[in-house]
Amino acid sequence: MGPDDLLLIVMLIALTLYAVLGGADFGAGIWEFTTALQATDRERQHIYKAIGPVWEANHVWLVFVLMILMNGFPKAFAALGLTLWLPLLLTLVGIIFRGGAYIFRSYGGGPKRELLLWEAIFAVASTGTPLFLGAAAGAIASGKLKIPTENSLPSEFVIGWISPLAVFTGFYSIGMCAYLAAVFLTREAHVIGDEHLTTIWRQRSLSTGLWMGVLSFGGLVMVAIEAPHLAEGFVTRGWPLVIISLVCGIGSLIEVWRLNCSRAVIAASGAVTAVIWGWGISQYPAIIPPSITAAQAKSPDGVLWMMLIVILTGGVFLLPALGYLFMLFKGEQLDRKVAS
Amino acid sequence: MTGLLADLTTANQLLPARLQMAFTLGFHIILACYGVGLPVLMLVAEWRFLQTGDRLWQKLAQRWSRSFAVLFAVGAVSGTVLSFELGLLWPEFMGRWGAVIGLPFTMEGFAFFLEAIFAGIYLYGWDRLPKRVHWLTGWPIAISGFLSAFFVVTANAWMNAPAGFRIVDGKIVDIDPLAAMFNVASGAQVTHMIVAAYMVTGFSVAAFYAFCLLRDPQNEYCRRAFTLGLLLGLVFVPVQMVVGDWSAKVVAKSQPVKLAAMEGQFQTERHAPLRIGGIPDPVARETRYAIEIPGALSFLSYADFNAEVKGLNDFPDNEKPPVIVVHLAFQVMVGIGSLMGLLAAGCLVNYVRFRSWPKSKWFLRTVVLMGPLSIVAMEAGWIVTEVGRQPWIVHGYMRTADAVTRAPGVWSVFAGTMSIYLLLGIATITSLVRLARVPLQEDLHGT
Repeated sequence: MGPDDLLLIVMLIALTLYAVLGGADFGAGIWEFTTALQATDRERQHIYKAIGPVWEANHVWLVFVLMILMNGFPKAFAALGLTLWLPLLLTLVGIIFRGGAYIFRSYGGGPKRELLLWEAIFAVASTGTPLFLGAAAGAIASGKLKIPTENSLPSEFVIGWISPLAVFTGFYSIGMCAYLAAVFLTREAHVIGDEHLTTIWRQRSLSTGLWMGVLSFGGLVMVAIEAPHLAEGFVTRGWPLVIISLVCGIGSLIEVWRLNCSRAVIAASGAVTAVIWGWGISQYPAIIPPSITAAQAKSPDGVLWMMLIVILTGGVFLLPALGYLFMLFKGEQLDRKVAS
Repeated sequence: MTGLLADLTTANQLLPARLQMAFTLGFHIILACYGVGLPVLMLVAEWRFLQTGDRLWQKLAQRWSRSFAVLFAVGAVSGTVLSFELGLLWPEFMGRWGAVIGLPFTMEGFAFFLEAIFAGIYLYGWDRLPKRVHWLTGWPIAISGFLSAFFVVTANAWMNAPAGFRIVDGKIVDIDPLAAMFNVASGAQVTHMIVAAYMVTGFSVAAFYAFCLLRDPQNEYCRRAFTLGLLLGLVFVPVQMVVGDWSAKVVAKSQPVKLAAMEGQFQTERHAPLRIGGIPDPVARETRYAIEIPGALSFLSYADFNAEVKGLNDFPDNEKPPVIVVHLAFQVMVGIGSLMGLLAAGCLVNYVRFRSWPKSKWFLRTVVLMGPLSIVAMEAGWIVTEVGRQPWIVHGYMRTADAVTRAPGVWSVFAGTMSIYLLLGIATITSLVRLARVPLQEDLHGT
C-alpha cells in the first residue's frame, strides 16, 4: 500500500465525516424547508440549537477534502475544477448563503420579517448545497465524465456533466441528509426529554428511513444500468459494504422505533458511511473514471509522505479538540444538567 | 442568461477571472485580518476580567466574541470560496503546481479547523465552562488564526519567489515542499501580513469606539475598548516600518522588476532616488511630479547609496507589470503607513508629558479616519504584491494567461459574485452595527 492509497483513505474518512456531520446539519435545514408552513417556533429553535456550536467545524471537513485533493492529486483537482465547474459553483453559492443566513439569523438581531427571510434562505440553501454537491459526486461516479480539451464546445462545459446518475445522486444526497438529521434530532429531543419533539422526529426518521431504503435499492439498479464499471466494482469488491449499509439502515430504523437514540445515531451514520465507502472502494483506483486514476493524478511519493506526516501531526491536535467540542455540546449528561 | 451566451463566444477568460479572484480575495482578506486580530483583543479583555473581577471587562470580551462570530463565519464562507476558486478559475495552476505548493494549504486546513472548533467552544461556552478554562479556550483561536495566516501567505510568497523544485525537460522534479514553503520571500511577506492583520484589527476597533467617544465622551466601556484597540494598532506601527523595509529588500532581490514598478523607476541607475508620489508614464518612460530623495532608493533596497537599481527599461515588455497601478498602490500604502507613524509619535509624546491619550476631539477624529485607512493600506499592499507579479502567476515559470480556466461564463460568474458579495457585505455590516447597538445596561443584567 503506497502513500497515495493511505491518502485516499484519509480523504474518504474526511468525506465520510463531512457527509455524516455536515450532512446532518444540511438535513436540519432541509427539514426546515420542507416543514416551513407547519413548523412551530419551538421546533425551529430545536433545530438551531442543535446546529449552533458545531456547524462551523463540521463544514471544515469539506475544505479538508479539497486540500488533500489539491495537494495530493493535483491533476484530479484541476480536472474537476474544469469539468464540474457549474455544479461546484452552485454548491459554492449554496455554502455562501447557508453560512451567511445562519449567522445573520443568529446574530443579526434584525426585525422579525428579516429573520424570516434569513430562515428561508437558510432552508433553501441547505437543500440546494447537497443537491449540487451530490450531483457532482454522481457525475464522477457515472464514469462518463469527459475532461474538456482545447477543442471542446462551450456547451460541453455547461451540460457535459449532467447524467441520469448525477441527477439521482443529487436527490439521494438530500434524502440522506434529511434522514441523518431526523435521527440526530430525535436523539437531541429525547435527551432533553421533550416528548412532543421526540414523537415528531421519530415519526420523520421512520418515514424518511423507509424511503431511503427504497431509494438505495433504486440506486443500485441505477448504477447497474448507468455505470457498468462501478457496478462491476460493487460485484467484485464493494458488496460487503452494501450489506453493511442494509444492516445498519434496518438497524437504525429498529433502534429509532425503540427509542434507543444513541444506537440509532450510530447505525444511521454507519449506513451512510457504508454507502460512501462502497462507492470509493468499488471505484478504486479511479478518482475520475474512466480517465483519471490515483496513480496518474498523484503528486510524487515524497510529497505524499510529507502530507501524511502533516496530517498525522495535525490530527494529534485536531482529534482531541474535536472530541472536546462534541463532548461539551453533544454529551448526554451535560445536556441533561443544562436542561434541568 | 444573455451574458452567459455572450461569454460562450469569447475566448478570453483572463480578465474576468483575475477580477473575480482579486475581488473575492480582497473581500476575504479583511475578514481574515479580524480572524487573526480580534481573538487577541478578546483574550486581553477577558484576562483583565479574570484579574480584576470587573464585569465590564467580561462584557467587552463577550460582545467582541459575538462580532467575532459573525466575522469568522462570513470569513469561513469567503475562504471556502477561495479554495474552490483555485480549481475553478486556475485549474492549470493547481494541476501543475499543486504538488509543490499544496502542503501549506493542507496545513492551513488544520489551522482553520482548530480555529473553527475553538471558536464554537469559546462562543457557546460562556455559561458552560469555568471562567479560567473558558479564557484558555480562547488561546487556540488566536494561535490558529495566526498559523492560518502564516501558512497561506507562504503559498503566496512562493508564487513570488518559487523554490523547492527543478524543471527537467519541462517536467517538475525533485520537489521539496518545505523548501517551497520557506522560500526567500516567505519570512518578510508572512510577517508583513500578520502585523498588518493586527494593525487593521486594532485601528478598526479603535475607530469604532473613537466614534462612540465623540458622541459620549464619558462612556467607560467605550474608553476601555478604544484603549485596547488603539494600543494594538499603535504598538505594531514601528514594527511594521521595520518589516516593510525588510519586505522591500526581499523584493529587490527576488523580483527586481516589481521593485522598479513600485518605485516608478524606469532608468537603470546608481544612486537611484526614492520617489514620493508621482505618476509614472509608461509611454514616455518616466515618473513625473514625484518628490525625489537622491540615493535613497539605492540605500533602502541594497543598504548602499551607490547601489545600482535596475529600471523597467531593462526588462522585456512582456514581463512588466502594469506600472501605474503598482506604483500608486505602493504610494498609498506607504503614505498611510507614514500617517500612522505620525499618530504613534504624537501619542507617545503626549503620553510621556501627560500620561494619557491626547484630549482633543481632533485626535478622536483622526483615529476614526485611521480605521478605514488601515484597510485601504492593507488592500493597497495586496495590489502591490499581486499586480506587481503580473504577467506571472508563478514568477518566471507560469504566466497567468496560461493558468486560467477554459470554462465559459466567467464574466457572468463575476457579475453574480459581485451581487452576492454586496449582499453579504451589507448584511455583515448591518449585523455588526446592530450588535454594537444593544444597550449595555440590558446586556449587563440579562445574559
